[in-house]
Amino acid sequence: MTRLRLMPLLLVALCAAAFGFAGTAAATPATATNALNAPTNDECFKCHGSADVKGETIDVKGVQKTIYVDRAIYEQSRHGKLACTSCHLGFTSGPHDAEQTQNWLATAKIGACRECHADVFEMYRGSFHGNLVFGESSGEAPVCADCHEAHNIMPPESQEFRAQIDTLCANCHADALETYLDSYHGKAFYLGEIQTAVCTDCHGGHRILAPSDPNSSVNEANLIQTCGECHPGANDNFVQFMVHVNPKSPSSSFLVWTFYMAYVLLIAVVFTFGFVHSGLYIYRGFKDGLYKRNHH
Amino acid sequence: MASTSETITEQPTTEVVRPKKQVRTRIEYRRFNVFHRWMHFLVFCSFTVLVFTGMPLKYKDTAWAQWFMDLFGGVTAAGVYHRIAAIVTVFYWTAEMLVMVIMVLKARGKLKSRIPLFFNGKDLQDVIGMFAWFFGRGPKPQFDRYTYWEKFDYLSLVAGTVIIGMTGFMMWFPLEFTKVLPGYWLNVALVIHSNEALLAMGVIFIFVHFFSAHLKPESFPLDKVIFTGSLPVDHYKAERPLEYARRVREGTLDEVLIERRITWKTYAADVVWWTITLIAGVSALMMTAFIIWSVFD
Repeated sequence: MTRLRLMPLLLVALCAAAFGFAGTAAATPATATNALNAPTNDECFKCHGSADVKGETIDVKGVQKTIYVDRAIYEQSRHGKLACTSCHLGFTSGPHDAEQTQNWLATAKIGACRECHADVFEMYRGSFHGNLVFGESSGEAPVCADCHEAHNIMPPESQEFRAQIDTLCANCHADALETYLDSYHGKAFYLGEIQTAVCTDCHGGHRILAPSDPNSSVNEANLIQTCGECHPGANDNFVQFMVHVNPKSPSSSFLVWTFYMAYVLLIAVVFTFGFVHSGLYIYRGFKDGLYKRNHH
Repeated sequence: MASTSETITEQPTTEVVRPKKQVRTRIEYRRFNVFHRWMHFLVFCSFTVLVFTGMPLKYKDTAWAQWFMDLFGGVTAAGVYHRIAAIVTVFYWTAEMLVMVIMVLKARGKLKSRIPLFFNGKDLQDVIGMFAWFFGRGPKPQFDRYTYWEKFDYLSLVAGTVIIGMTGFMMWFPLEFTKVLPGYWLNVALVIHSNEALLAMGVIFIFVHFFSAHLKPESFPLDKVIFTGSLPVDHYKAERPLEYARRVREGTLDEVLIERRITWKTYAADVVWWTITLIAGVSALMMTAFIIWSVFD
């Protein structure tokens, strides 16, 4: 995933060396990507890593977020060796003015990831989510950090990251999560078997498209291919399995709902009869003193 | 048995005191043969495994679901145990059906009296009679070999195994199944499988079986005849007077009377039956409580 473009970095380092200042800039990876004049991580964490700023917040799309960053967590993350300013472009040392902050939040937050992850970024921009962010509709949609987090980025292929995919998607798609978790895959995933199919295995990660889109992995035309990834030999019949179905709702699937209701009724009748019959039998047993005469 | 009577008759003639040779025996009624007892053992084991590996999936949101899955070593491992128990179920079901078919063929036209596990007209009278007795409006009905709730217990297990087995195999082999029918029947299969399981669990754990073998006055606190195979004749005569009378009438009583030796092994076995029952009983009550809790939570 992380493909550092070495050439520009090398140039930066060479230039820095040539100008004779920032002599230590290229010495450690942590500062290797520092732009000229940009503060070092030590400088950033002097304020942002201090417990004193935990209460200080900034407004991000109406949500108050702390400006505190836990240095230990950041440094063990996938990006832990990168300079703060490699993502937080355009920031200088000292107290930042509001304009600087808002500029970064508005544009650079996405642009920053693009610097290194251009291929993934292009996939994302063409996706349903990317379209909402960059397209004309400009609706609410997750950007990189909404799924990958900003300061605690986990390797996407790690077990920890995979284990939380369902809850990530559920931040917006709560209904879909509920029906998924009631399905065969979802139950297993929920109880710890993360090698079973989860949201992104069928819908894709960065290039998620609406099911109506012919290019979508969950478009009817592509289901045999998508299901076939895990179920080789899947045919037209097989892909008519419904992953997102709510048995309690007739509008979700009338067939499934009918069977569900039939069983609810049957269970209610049998259990009620069983309770009444057993209860009365025991009552009569006590009443007639049958328990006393027992020889077993 | 022969040696027992010899020991008793020998004692006065030899005049030697041999206290340990005294073996107590009792005439008992053999209610279940070895086949019945083995069938019950297989049902008991496979059913317990199936319930405990399956129910956590049905009630995945509960804390105990995760606890059980961790205990089994994860969902995948639990799935393996579930499938092994399913194969045992197929085995005992097939064996039982073979025996039933042979019984039906042997009985020819005399089905009603020969196949005591099928429902007949008297069962309806018995239901009405029992409710009358519950409310003190009549005597307790007398039963033949099996009561109506025992027939229900048995027949619901036989039929339920077909339903739950078919839907289970559909989900086990989805690719093979969808060569025949559309995939949405797998959604139906899951609904049927999990609710049929709840129904079966309720019937076995609480309403019929637990009640029938433990809670009702005639059996309280434990009717261990399915383990031992036989019970004292007078007990049986009181419990199932019609079968007793029928056997006397037909002259078949001797076929089912045995002389049972009462030794230390009898009591050791009782300890085993009690231990199994206590573990099973506690597990059953625990699972029932868990499910009631999660339904009303």
